[in-house]
Amino acid sequence: MTPRTPGYLASALRVFDMSTGEMLWSRRTIFMGLIVGAPVIIALVVRLVFALGAPSPTVNGTVMAGPAIFGLMIWIFYLRFIVPVLGVFYGTSLIADEVEDKTITYLFTRPIPRGAVLLGKYLAYLACTVFVVLPSVIIVYLCITPVRGSLGGSFVDLLKDLVLLGIGLAAYGAVFAWIGAKFKRPLLIGLIFIFGWEQVAMTFPGYMRQFTVAYYLQALVPHAMPNDGVVSFVQSLFHQTASLPTSLIALAVIIVAFLALAAATVERREYVLEQ
Amino acid sequence: MSPIHDQSYRHYGGTKAAPGHAWAVIATAGLRTFLRRRAFLGIMLFALFPFIVRAVQLYIAANVAQASIIAAGPQTFRQFLEQQDFFVFVITVYVGAGLIANDRRANALQIYLSKPLMRTEYIFGKLAVLVVFLLSVTLVPAILLLLLKIVFDGSFAFLRANLFLIPAIVVASLLQVLLASFTMLALSSLSKSARFVGILYVGITFFTSAIYGALYAITGTSRVSWVSIGANLTQVVDVIFRQPPRYATPWQVSLLVIIGLVAVSLSILERRVRGVEVVT
Amino acid sequence: MDAPVISADHVSKWYGQVLGLNDVTVNVPPGITGLLGPNGAGKSTFMKLITGQLRPSQGTIRVLGEPIWANPGLFFRVGFCPEQDSFYERMTGLEWVRALVGLNGLDEKAADEAARRALETLELTEHADRKIGAYSKGLRQRVKMAQAIAHDPQLLILDEPLSGMDPSLRRKTIRLIREWARTGKSVLVSSHILHEIESMTSNILLINNGRILAEGDVHQIRDLIDEHPHTVYVRANDPRRLAREFLENDDVLSMSFEPGAVVVQTGKPDAFYARLTNMAASGEFGAIEEVTSPDDNLQAVFQYLVK
Repeated sequence: MTPRTPGYLASALRVFDMSTGEMLWSRRTIFMGLIVGAPVIIALVVRLVFALGAPSPTVNGTVMAGPAIFGLMIWIFYLRFIVPVLGVFYGTSLIADEVEDKTITYLFTRPIPRGAVLLGKYLAYLACTVFVVLPSVIIVYLCITPVRGSLGGSFVDLLKDLVLLGIGLAAYGAVFAWIGAKFKRPLLIGLIFIFGWEQVAMTFPGYMRQFTVAYYLQALVPHAMPNDGVVSFVQSLFHQTASLPTSLIALAVIIVAFLALAAATVERREYVLEQ
Repeated sequence: MSPIHDQSYRHYGGTKAAPGHAWAVIATAGLRTFLRRRAFLGIMLFALFPFIVRAVQLYIAANVAQASIIAAGPQTFRQFLEQQDFFVFVITVYVGAGLIANDRRANALQIYLSKPLMRTEYIFGKLAVLVVFLLSVTLVPAILLLLLKIVFDGSFAFLRANLFLIPAIVVASLLQVLLASFTMLALSSLSKSARFVGILYVGITFFTSAIYGALYAITGTSRVSWVSIGANLTQVVDVIFRQPPRYATPWQVSLLVIIGLVAVSLSILERRVRGVEVVT
Repeated sequence: MDAPVISADHVSKWYGQVLGLNDVTVNVPPGITGLLGPNGAGKSTFMKLITGQLRPSQGTIRVLGEPIWANPGLFFRVGFCPEQDSFYERMTGLEWVRALVGLNGLDEKAADEAARRALETLELTEHADRKIGAYSKGLRQRVKMAQAIAHDPQLLILDEPLSGMDPSLRRKTIRLIREWARTGKSVLVSSHILHEIESMTSNILLINNGRILAEGDVHQIRDLIDEHPHTVYVRANDPRRLAREFLENDDVLSMSFEPGAVVVQTGKPDAFYARLTNMAASGEFGAIEEVTSPDDNLQAVFQYLVK
């Protein structure tokens, strides 16, 4: 009589244990570190420049204080670039990396559901990215906010930013986990999604924007949207966001639905290894 | 002579090419590999679409009096090359990501370099694959557009008035192509996974733009455009075409950044393209 | 008759236009079975089907009486050692085997013990704490086998297990496989190396061009290959005298001579051996020193069937 397989979550956690170390100490993480390090360096440079007595920058006649600069960096760096790109970078590679390295065989010939393998690797991705991205946000906050601002005054915004970025990593990761499981060229599709579809859909008024992750994430941002280019300017003209409860529910649904789809795809798909 | 002919191995008795031509073998093999792929041919055809649109524009401007408003000038060729940036990016990722990475993955570098083939020839051969495809969507159609302009106008007047266009197109295309090629080749030599290399290249391209975007939003000045690879190229090419530069950064700084990037890429290639990898 | 450990019923598998396996029906009995075939024969496809990595395009596959596709629970009782040389290179041998056997639901302590036991069986204890990336080819092959046996499975499926091993390690591994079979495990071994399969088992599964050519005992198969007469080598004091006697019977199809011996091609080996025994017992034809059959082996079966 065949013994029962370990529970889904228990299996996923075992895979999580196995994958976290591999993911965290891989070369990919160096790249991630460089990406999240850049805003930290910029924040340090800006702080140093102000400490040396430089005047605060003005944009359109308005003096930019620390909290405003921090909000800007959250939008431009984290929300528009780091979070979606890490989602593409890691999410599309969850299973693809194992297939390319031909180590998938070891995971798929164990008494655990294939979907649990995907879930475990997704959790490892989430842990690694959150572990790297959120501290960088905190460092940027500590460097930038005291310039014409106060740490305590913007602390609640920081917490909101940390939660929103965590949710963003989870949501984009889930979407791209499914894209990675389903399609042959997931990277290209992922990039078209974030730099093509989401940009276009957010520019035009109407229902199209509801088919993006950015629409719901942007509802959680406590900072004003910056005006740093033509696309941003047009998007700001038609800027509308969902309500907070709607956004949270939608993001939760996106995470659960796409993870379930990804798991189902992995269960059914045959992976033919390159000879 | 014996009626039973010798069936054993026969040594090659033909002429051999002089040393230094092995790069052409690598380049030819690489070109053939991609030209066999339908998806790639589709991308290349799609990349020529702007050329077709421009050609139609030139024809209409030359033959329809009311359409003089869309007449071509030097900026037309500048804009064409800028439009082709997208295809340069896509082709660079598609072709370039696996050029050296796949060889590293298959441990083929050792095989290559065990032949009478210098590392420079290997790199040059791989570079040639990417450069040929990229030039065929930049330099070649741009020069063809110039020729079409002359043909449709029925005179060399435009060319005589804008003689600088020929060297401008050549230099700008080469700059665009060589920057992309060297950067991608260097990244490809860093990994055994073509997919990872593609991600790296995309990341670096968009990331430097994002940094510039943030700095521009913070400082309100475009003097910081030198951090963006794309902005540097745009700046220098604008100057080559005698167009007003878009950014406040001096074009010499942008050119230095580009040269620096190529130099760093060459240095990476020199270190990574070796027959033996020492693991300690 | 024991139930088969693996049974395939009219299984076909194609990859687009390419046919990997063509209407294969086979039952693998308990014990050691060698899966043989040239490159591109369909061995890897068959291995992937019986380990649930691929789903048959047609037909059914059952392993230990249960369907294998989408049935991960079977892997409690099945251990698989794949052909590819791929690992999590940053992990040590012990970490890797422990992590994989931990996926079988064992707690940390039990997984550690199981991993250590497996590594000890394969003489890897002294290398257990080194990173796999620093292992030699032979060590890598052994650690791959360690992860396959760590959970003490009932059925072991080994794809080219001897690849990359030096001769002494091959001998040890073959001995290990025979020991596992003696403890009641079933083993399916895929290999190109005919004489090593022969030293493990006489039960073979021969595959070529996606079809099963033969299954069962290699000697029985050999007997059934009529179009290739059996070769019998007889070394004797007076081989020519023996040869004159052999010529009297029509089951001897041809003969040739070697120093001190006569090599006979016969279409009826049983009759020939019976007569040869009588001739030796009678003493009339001189001493008969050696009788062997050079082609009653796997090599011959392989050559004759795989054209």
